[in-house]
Amino acid sequence: MIDDRPSGATPANEADVLTVPANEADVLTAPPAEKKTKTMHSGKRAKLISKIVIYTILVFYAFIIIFPFLVVILTSLKTWQDARASTFSWIPPMGYTFEAYKEVFTYMAGSDMVLPSIVNGFFNTLMYVLPPTILGLFTSAISAYAFSKLRFRAKKWMYTLLLGTMMVPGTIMIVPQYVIYDMIGWTHTPLPLIIPGMFGAAACVFFMRQFYTGIPDSLVEAAKLDGLGYLGIFFRIMVPLAVPALLAQGLLGFIGGYNDFLGPLLYLDSDKLSTLQIALTNMAGTYSKRPNVVMAASLIALLPMLIVYFFTQRYFISGIVSSGLKE
Amino acid sequence: MERENTIEFAEGTENIADSEAVFPEMETAEATALDGPVPVKPKKRKRMDAEEIYGTFLAAIPLIGFLIFGFVPLILAFFMAFLDMGYGWNIADGEWVGFDNFVFLFTTAKEEVGISIFEAIGNTLLLGISTFISQILALAVSYLLSRDIRGRGIWRIIYFIPYVCSTVAITLMWKYMFDPSYGIINQIIGNTDIMNGAIEWTTDPTVFYVTINIISIWSGMGYGILLYSAALTNINQSSLEAAEIDGAGSFTKFFRIVLPSISPTTFYLLIMGVIGMLQSFTITNVFDKGGGPDFHGVTIVFFMFQYLYEWENVGVASAAAWVLTLLILLVTVIQFFGSRRWVKYD
Repeated sequence: MIDDRPSGATPANEADVLTVPANEADVLTAPPAEKKTKTMHSGKRAKLISKIVIYTILVFYAFIIIFPFLVVILTSLKTWQDARASTFSWIPPMGYTFEAYKEVFTYMAGSDMVLPSIVNGFFNTLMYVLPPTILGLFTSAISAYAFSKLRFRAKKWMYTLLLGTMMVPGTIMIVPQYVIYDMIGWTHTPLPLIIPGMFGAAACVFFMRQFYTGIPDSLVEAAKLDGLGYLGIFFRIMVPLAVPALLAQGLLGFIGGYNDFLGPLLYLDSDKLSTLQIALTNMAGTYSKRPNVVMAASLIALLPMLIVYFFTQRYFISGIVSSGLKE
Repeated sequence: MERENTIEFAEGTENIADSEAVFPEMETAEATALDGPVPVKPKKRKRMDAEEIYGTFLAAIPLIGFLIFGFVPLILAFFMAFLDMGYGWNIADGEWVGFDNFVFLFTTAKEEVGISIFEAIGNTLLLGISTFISQILALAVSYLLSRDIRGRGIWRIIYFIPYVCSTVAITLMWKYMFDPSYGIINQIIGNTDIMNGAIEWTTDPTVFYVTINIISIWSGMGYGILLYSAALTNINQSSLEAAEIDGAGSFTKFFRIVLPSISPTTFYLLIMGVIGMLQSFTITNVFDKGGGPDFHGVTIVFFMFQYLYEWENVGVASAAAWVLTLLILLVTVIQFFGSRRWVKYD
């Protein structure tokens, strides 16, 4: 990984040094002849300039990330006339109003609905996403524990097989899965979104196994001597030790389920069963002429995830980094 | 902790005996354990002891799930592409039609619904250019972040926001901003001298590609930044310092040391990015259910979805899934072989 050239400069290296300036700032401040004997002053100035450039870029990018959210918030507080005005106004002529939010929280797509579509969608999403996330996390972890700490003959090929399943792109199975679920009467119900996830995910097993391999075997042996059974070891030792890792994986699973679109779109066609994302697209269709309502609904759909993210970003980030960096 | 256990060895054995009552199914293991002196690591084990059973069963749970919900459908997928199932879901009604569904994909589909799988593949690739752009930009940003920067954590938190946001909400948000008549983007760019007048972001078939790519880049960069930042902090500092002593400039250092060091991350992001890109669906579907101007938003998965769900032609949908699978396989294999030239593992 690391460049293994000897530290003594080879001729090729020297050529590089002569042709490539240290950075752009050097080119501006120092004539070519003086390149190697930089004065203290020009070095500091170059550093300052490059710092300014870097911070400018970082701030600009942050602005690009934040800016759309400002537009969404602002638009959701406008009347629909202002939201569709041909010039974008930071202070709307007709004033700020909560009418879009009122609309979002009163709109019911079907007459058989008890709750507003968006609230109904939110609770549906929680109902469909939490059970497979929590149970799947648990089954993945217990499988990872078996793969890392228990000895059984089939371990090697079972693990290879499991990793192999990760290579199968999910979209291939959409069509036959739909046909099978239709045969057993699962279409038009949330079951296809809930049940398969409960068996755990290969990626999660992979990540948790990585984690458990780092826990010394002697700990497990000691627990065995203390009279803990194999399940006891898992629940009393492996779960408590892995809480941060489990949290990270759980969050990733939750966010995936919460934001899933294709699954619910395929299997849930009634407004009553719709998830938040589907309810949101339905509202976008109904209110296509009133962007303030669409923006308010979008913001409401985004908010729970953003709140979760800001409070748990440490776990989030560690989870993503560690599952992305395969050794 | 280990030492404690050796001291309380006798007690430990008793506990194991006690535990038999709690886990009666573990009798075999306990019996072997009690026969002789308690072995910490038994060398010779009976054919089926508790560890074997527990291990196999616990490890198998995700595999059982895959067997039921993955393997069976995979086998079915193989056959269904060669069946004409009428307009229904029942496999028993299927009639073997050979490669008709594939022929349909490449030819008749164009006449019937206005787009063939060729064009869907083309759309997918053109809409997926963002994968590469966002990766390069992500590397650039994380390289800047790896410098001596204040508040590195805060920048990262901000840049990662789009990743946690729902694609549906993000697409609706950008669709509003891209609206040719009242969107804010045209008001910012359209007023400048270069772009005289409104750009048809959502209705011009060619510009539509750009629009979708912008949305994808905006939402896709955070992931790359996160992984690249982690990879950059793992670079061996001493080799960088050595290069500096040798007089290497920033560019030399970047291309000769930094880039090779992070090549596994680049490879991982590329593989995952391309696989994800080939399966893209949500953004264009939310943007325009009808497929966008000139059907330019119809990706392969969109195409498949349309045949499966809207037109209920399972055979054609399966054939499209086949094309997608082969494409993913092909691209992944090429990337793996190509990677030998430039990916440097330790």
